[in-house]
Amino acid sequence: MHSRKIIPVILLLAVIALFPVMTRSEYILNIMITFFLYVILSESWNLIGGFAGQISLGHSAFFGIGALVTRLVWLSGIPVIPALFAGGIGAAALACSVGIPCLRMTQAYFPIGTLALAMIAQITIGNIFPLPGSLSSEYVAAYNLSSRYYLAFAVGIFTVLTVYLFARSKKGLALVAIRDDEGAAAAVGVKPFQHKILALLVSSFMAGLGGGIFAYQHVSYFYSAPFELSWAFLPTLTTFIGGLGTISGPIIGSVAFLALSELFVLNLGEIHLLVFGATFVLIVMFLPKGLFSLSVGIRSFLRDWALRLIGRGEAKKL
Amino acid sequence: MGQTLVYGILNGSLYGIIALGIALVFGIMKYLNLAQGTLIILGAYIGLYLSQLGLDPFLSIPVVMVALFLFAAVLFKTCFSRLINFDEEEKIKNSLLISFGLMLFLDNLITVIWTSDERSITPAYSGITFELFGLRIPLIGLAGALLAVILILLLHLFLTRTYFGQSVVAVSQDQEAASLMGVNVSLTFLTSFAISVSIASIPSMLIALQSFSPTVGLHWFNKGIVVVILSGIGNIYGVLPAGLFLGIIEALSVYIFGPSYREVTGLAVFVLILILVPKGLFRRRGAA
Repeated sequence: MHSRKIIPVILLLAVIALFPVMTRSEYILNIMITFFLYVILSESWNLIGGFAGQISLGHSAFFGIGALVTRLVWLSGIPVIPALFAGGIGAAALACSVGIPCLRMTQAYFPIGTLALAMIAQITIGNIFPLPGSLSSEYVAAYNLSSRYYLAFAVGIFTVLTVYLFARSKKGLALVAIRDDEGAAAAVGVKPFQHKILALLVSSFMAGLGGGIFAYQHVSYFYSAPFELSWAFLPTLTTFIGGLGTISGPIIGSVAFLALSELFVLNLGEIHLLVFGATFVLIVMFLPKGLFSLSVGIRSFLRDWALRLIGRGEAKKL
Repeated sequence: MGQTLVYGILNGSLYGIIALGIALVFGIMKYLNLAQGTLIILGAYIGLYLSQLGLDPFLSIPVVMVALFLFAAVLFKTCFSRLINFDEEEKIKNSLLISFGLMLFLDNLITVIWTSDERSITPAYSGITFELFGLRIPLIGLAGALLAVILILLLHLFLTRTYFGQSVVAVSQDQEAASLMGVNVSLTFLTSFAISVSIASIPSMLIALQSFSPTVGLHWFNKGIVVVILSGIGNIYGVLPAGLFLGIIEALSVYIFGPSYREVTGLAVFVLILILVPKGLFRRRGAA
């Protein structure tokens, strides 16, 4: 990141951090927590889907396991932050046991294989825990929305920062090299499989943390709710629409998704998904680098145009 | 036990026809159409509309077939035709993504039009069963199994006995060479896609006679893709045995673990096969 970009980003983060002080509206705070959740999920998916190029349709399994483990550990009396980590580790453990065999599938089968795994997880958890889990009265009495807000905010920053640093590290560059040409990368000594495993582990760990936030935020929900496939489709949509393999892409996509779903929240059916499905198709067809590339493209077009204007002016002066 | 197997076999033939549409597109065009299940459900809703007008479900199959054929042709022209000249891996990946978006779009469009209520078509004969060797066999399930066999025979005749079918086989073997020999590749693609979607009209009707709602498309696609992988990619003759295999496995798992793990068993078999035998169980040498 350029140093001149750091100041606006810090200012923006400071404003976001002051939200719970500025407003007491539960609606706004809950929306913001959902936004952090979307960013965590999308950005973690971006690591495996965008940077490693493995389109996973099974991210909901990691998210769900994170939620499940965090909830159970937290309700057993352990403070929430260790519980959150337990959730992340649970998700990474799931990735170890079932995700790694999936990485052996060739590119076309990886999405379908992970989708199948997500469905298995959803049905199995729904069978094991058929009833919704609710907080006991002492937990409800201690419920404090701004602590949820700050925890989600912190995990959000952690996730974005991790993906940012990972993408710029040597491992991240190797990952992009593998995505762009696996054979060439292997020929110069980059080990494709090991790097993909690393990306999957980091990605699933962060998705598990996101699941933990979900478990911490909600008072009562069916244990299978965070396993629903929509949690796997969401990061795919937001990341593709925002910009695959970029840091700001998933954030842009999350904002767009949230704004649209709030706009259509009272309508019959899920119109925001209808719009997003159509947008997704158009993006894959015409703008494979996402909306982010559109903004970059417009900016460079404007710059060229401005330079040409200036250049012409100077030529006239001479 | 015997009764369970009967249901397994009848369900399996339904899985086989669903898989046929997916296998055809996948084998010939190297397109992976995630929206096939949703298109089946779309067909079911068209069938529901026709049955409300008083048309018998089995008689409405040809109408639904034509409707899906035309819809698929438009869909191909607008969304998929630009992938024709991509290389194989890019084709699979992009078609998967496009059809994923389409699936979400169509699922929600169907919800908006027909609401998310669960529906079914129940003609007077829907409960009829008859006895054979002491086993009860439902009439509709048997009709579905017969349709599956007839469909595969027809498709076989189409691919081997007609000029157009031969050009389809040629394109599936070597797209570039076929194009050099004067085969109109884009027309072949368009027609193959439309045919494989119109095949969905039969599972549409069979599912409509059970029960359906807007979002179950992905569930049926999954049955189909499991069978496609079991049978070996692009092997259209393997889909019926592979479908029966899946149906029987599911029936056995209901017998052993109870009905709530039926889905899980099928999917677990699928994941195991993807990992262990990626080329499929019923692979035949030289099959289209």
